[in-house]
Amino acid sequence: MQLSGIIPPRFRSDRRQGRLPARWHVGNRQLLQAISLAVVACVMIPVAYLVIGAVGAGQDGVDYLLRTRTILIVSNSLALMLATTFLATLIAIPFAWLTGRCDLPARQVFLALGLAAMVIPSYLTAVTFSEAFGPKGLLQSLLEPLGVDRLPNIKGFVGATLTLTFVTFPYVVLPARAALLQADRALEEAGHSLGLNRWQVFRQITLPQLRPALSAGMLMTALYCLSDFGAVAVMRFNAFTRAIFIQTESFRMDKASVLGLVLIALTMLLLLLQSRLHSNGRHYRIGTGASRELQTVQLGRLKLPGVLFCAAVIFMGVAVPLLVLFKWLAGHMITSPIHVPLDTLAQNTVGVSAASALVVSAAALPLALLAARASSRFDRWLVKLAYAGNVLPGIVIALALVFFASQHMLSLYQTLPLLILGYAIRFLPYSIGATESALEQINPRFEESARSLGLTARESLLRITVPLARAGILAGLALVFLNVMKELPITLILRPIGFRTFATRIWSAYDEAFLSSIALPGLALILVSASVLFVILRQEKTAP
Amino acid sequence: MSATRITLFSLGVLLVALAGAPALADDEPVLTVYSGRNESLIGPILAQFSEDTGIAVEILYGGTSAVANQILTEGENSPADVFIAQDGGALGALAAADMLQALPEATLSRVLDAAFVSPAGLWVGLSGRARVLVYNPELLDEMGLELPGSILDLTADKWRGLVGWAPTNASFVANVTAMRVLLGDCDAEDWLAAMIANDAQAYPKNTPIVQAVINGEIPVGLVNHYYLYRFLAEDPEITATLHFFPGGDVGSLINIAGAAILQSSDRQDLALQLVDYLLSDSAQAYFAAKTYEYPLVTSVDPSVDLPALADIEAPEIDLSDLDDLQGTLEMIENSGALD
Amino acid sequence: MEYSLQADHLTKRYNGQSPAVNDITLRVRPSEFLTLLGPSGGGKTTTLRLLAGFERPTSGRIQISNRIVADDSRFTPPEKRKVGMVFQDYALFPHVDVAGNVAFGLRGSRTENERRTKQLLSLVGLSQFASRMPHELSGGQQQRVALARALAPEPDILLLDEPFSNLDTGLRAQVRADVRTILLKTETTAVFVTHDQQEALSLSDEIAVIFDGKLVQVATPHAIYNRPANVQVAKFIGEANFLPAEAHGMTASSRLGEVKLFHPKSGQVQLMIRPEALAVGFDDQGSPALVRWREFYGHYQRLGLSLADGTELVARTSVDRYFQRGNEVRITLALPALAYDKVE
Repeated sequence: MQLSGIIPPRFRSDRRQGRLPARWHVGNRQLLQAISLAVVACVMIPVAYLVIGAVGAGQDGVDYLLRTRTILIVSNSLALMLATTFLATLIAIPFAWLTGRCDLPARQVFLALGLAAMVIPSYLTAVTFSEAFGPKGLLQSLLEPLGVDRLPNIKGFVGATLTLTFVTFPYVVLPARAALLQADRALEEAGHSLGLNRWQVFRQITLPQLRPALSAGMLMTALYCLSDFGAVAVMRFNAFTRAIFIQTESFRMDKASVLGLVLIALTMLLLLLQSRLHSNGRHYRIGTGASRELQTVQLGRLKLPGVLFCAAVIFMGVAVPLLVLFKWLAGHMITSPIHVPLDTLAQNTVGVSAASALVVSAAALPLALLAARASSRFDRWLVKLAYAGNVLPGIVIALALVFFASQHMLSLYQTLPLLILGYAIRFLPYSIGATESALEQINPRFEESARSLGLTARESLLRITVPLARAGILAGLALVFLNVMKELPITLILRPIGFRTFATRIWSAYDEAFLSSIALPGLALILVSASVLFVILRQEKTAP
Repeated sequence: MSATRITLFSLGVLLVALAGAPALADDEPVLTVYSGRNESLIGPILAQFSEDTGIAVEILYGGTSAVANQILTEGENSPADVFIAQDGGALGALAAADMLQALPEATLSRVLDAAFVSPAGLWVGLSGRARVLVYNPELLDEMGLELPGSILDLTADKWRGLVGWAPTNASFVANVTAMRVLLGDCDAEDWLAAMIANDAQAYPKNTPIVQAVINGEIPVGLVNHYYLYRFLAEDPEITATLHFFPGGDVGSLINIAGAAILQSSDRQDLALQLVDYLLSDSAQAYFAAKTYEYPLVTSVDPSVDLPALADIEAPEIDLSDLDDLQGTLEMIENSGALD
Repeated sequence: MEYSLQADHLTKRYNGQSPAVNDITLRVRPSEFLTLLGPSGGGKTTTLRLLAGFERPTSGRIQISNRIVADDSRFTPPEKRKVGMVFQDYALFPHVDVAGNVAFGLRGSRTENERRTKQLLSLVGLSQFASRMPHELSGGQQQRVALARALAPEPDILLLDEPFSNLDTGLRAQVRADVRTILLKTETTAVFVTHDQQEALSLSDEIAVIFDGKLVQVATPHAIYNRPANVQVAKFIGEANFLPAEAHGMTASSRLGEVKLFHPKSGQVQLMIRPEALAVGFDDQGSPALVRWREFYGHYQRLGLSLADGTELVARTSVDRYFQRGNEVRITLALPALAYDKVE
């Protein structure tokens, strides 16, 4: 199992650094640039409006920025990010090692179940965690016989960290596991022959080889924490996104914009830091896959602890949310008097996700072509800017677009196209990345061949390039679909009046404490996401 | 897969997508309602209105203060025809911004108590709600605590970490505004700061507070009176009880949920039809029976065993004076209650 | 004279850099096989891509069968040029079978296309592989499919970019012969890029030598080998000995004594002597030399020789004479030498 398709390619450690100096044909390049420029212009709307909003705030904005409270928000977010990244990595390394390299029974099953945590959106995990580990929650009722009356409140930093740890750890497991499987066996054997024991070999030889993969996974986790809204909102932890949401909800755009810009700056700083780290020569090149079978580590009497560890991780990340949802489904709690048929929710959710995935894939193709083929500085800048979604958290995009539309583009205000635009800006990088890496695999001579055989540039694109890149394009499509379906803040803020999806339904039911009404849409969302993920994995497996 | 198959696949997905996009090509008149009331409280009666009159209604739900701010931001361009709030102050804020259309006498006169109608006739109350302290008698007993005589007493050390509140909730915001009006900004600010220092437990809304009190997570919470009855309707065994602060305490503020018509609306007739509908006997009976609020039309009685509106020792205050929404929101925000 | 291909003053400059192709002029007659030969990165492939239409020339003019396909104002895209192309890595479409690849450029009716595809496949000897996928073929077979695909639409001119470099040495000679046979049979005009001088010498009707984007010499393989335009070409094409000499007319005096020159020359010159132009013997004619080493190749042998003053020379002789390390021999010049101006 490669599993690389789930991770946006920008974060993959195995991404090719240089590219072929393949030159693009004169005629269609200008068209490509024109389309790409238009797409990038759309992507830049949020940034432009944030700047306008923040500048409009003037001195007020500066004062707001420098208040202790804002600084507190920054430190809250950073603390959450660091703690979560640390914990997620701490869990992910042994999990990846146990399921990847050890003689753990049914390790593929453990792996699949662990990765399933990715299909559970953070707000669902948070809601179910507060039910399970709240003062009078499931855990307390289990401990009741032991005389435990109430548990401490997990809201706030502890709850948000706990939630995000179990939501994000698969993002570290995936690259770590891939790197573990590609690790050079000879190095480990050399270590053993030099008298190192199992643990020393792991620490001194295996782990250093994992560093680039780990840093990619940790970056993903850190970015996730900064941009996540669901978990911090449910856990009422005053991180950036929650503060922005409160300001946006009340249409206090100047303050929201100031916070949004700071959040973007923080995210970019993080990316910069990471690329610095890598260009520092600390980047270990991972070989192109050892031809010899990697030796399976015999766990011996550590087998039981290993199994228990993996089971515990899966229990927290997957079983607890599902158990709570099923409990709510069966329980007698007050339900919302508003009945929204599940099929309406499903239709809306799948419909808007599919439409967004298509829009995004179409918009991504020209940029991916530019990224894979073009060489001019202008092209590279276009592509870089198109990746802006990576540093724009959903809440920031939503606030900028709602501001933009309500002030300047009333015909788009509260419409589906605006909602889809929001999704598109956020998830364009996923599609470009997947398509780009597929295109990079395609020999540019194929197109030239077709041209010399009488096909026009457009024909050869449609008959040669697109079919050859279809796996990548479809992977991007599925990736965007999956993420749009789970996306909360963009949906909440940009949706047309009366438009409900699984995510908004879960949110409003949570908001009004109709916990039973969370169960069905929650389970449905998980089911659909899991099926899409399954399809992606199958695709990965069969791809050459 | 060939290019044609990709095209076909894309078309298929697109069709599904279009099927999922509701009401895109709908030319019928649609009334747009911005509701600061929860969907569970107002949704069913609005649906009933559509069914009875054939007028389609689109509803945006949000917190009352948030929705009021949204209308203020949208200004002339607001798609909203009718604004339904659960706080007289928010209605007052829009009235002060000169965005509301005066209502006809016939509509206003449905509500007899002048305290629940805008003096200028710009908004009308739909239902009444009292601020209360919901408490868990067993837990209170266990902890050896006695009910406080005033909302201001909750800052005492014995309540440390035990009071639930919803600082972003419009009813709470209105309560703080009332405090500012009656006691002055300084006292209101001090009270907020003292509550935070006393580790008041923040919840997003009233319902989870009541749930937490019932569950025994906290002994007391500041809420509106009617939330408890929704839980009682499901489970009459619940022992949680309401406490009305006595002696005209600011903690016993009686507020309204009310409605107003936007000046910018180009469907004034339909909007008025909706407001009148919400004041009709049947709608008032709905509020009484389903939301457990006080009907404001005399011909309808409260449905549950509530103290009569007149018997609550509420503070003397003009609801229209609660219009400095922004001021209170900023005070709450600066107090750190949202952190 | 009617040409199949005429390129005049072709120049290609990528933004700001020195030109990759610098003022190249070429003529190819119908059915002729022209080779662009030169070191890697010297501009040969760029020239080919200019001809194919994958690049737009910065200046210059290209004419294919009397149609101007590129000049200052016109640019015909590759699909309109009637130019066939065989790529270094063949670029067979991996998602299309062999027949589909060959038929890809055909625009006729279905039956006509099928007939043509069959014809081409039988020409390259791959009839039984029509429904295979490209990755199921060997390198040589892929090469022939690529050739068939390029020939199928009956291009006015065929361009081949290093078509043999991906093949094993053993296979290469065979495929080369096959390609030559096919091109002869179809009377195709072809331009062929290679950095391998053996390939160029053995296949071409004419060779154009390109160094650093500039055309240095165009001539038949024979002329290129025997009368290279300068020292650089001489070194690039085959082995060569160089000796300083003082020229006076048709002779020059050097360490090998007085030698005949191919062209009249005077003053300080550099003599170029191919190893096979040196006659090595045991008689007392010629300059004395010592055999330092010997390589035996069966049908010839290479000798490393040093003159009395230490000058080292390489000779290639037939194997009817036996030499071994340490032999004292005499060498003479069997052919007139080429003399070049001395360049410091």
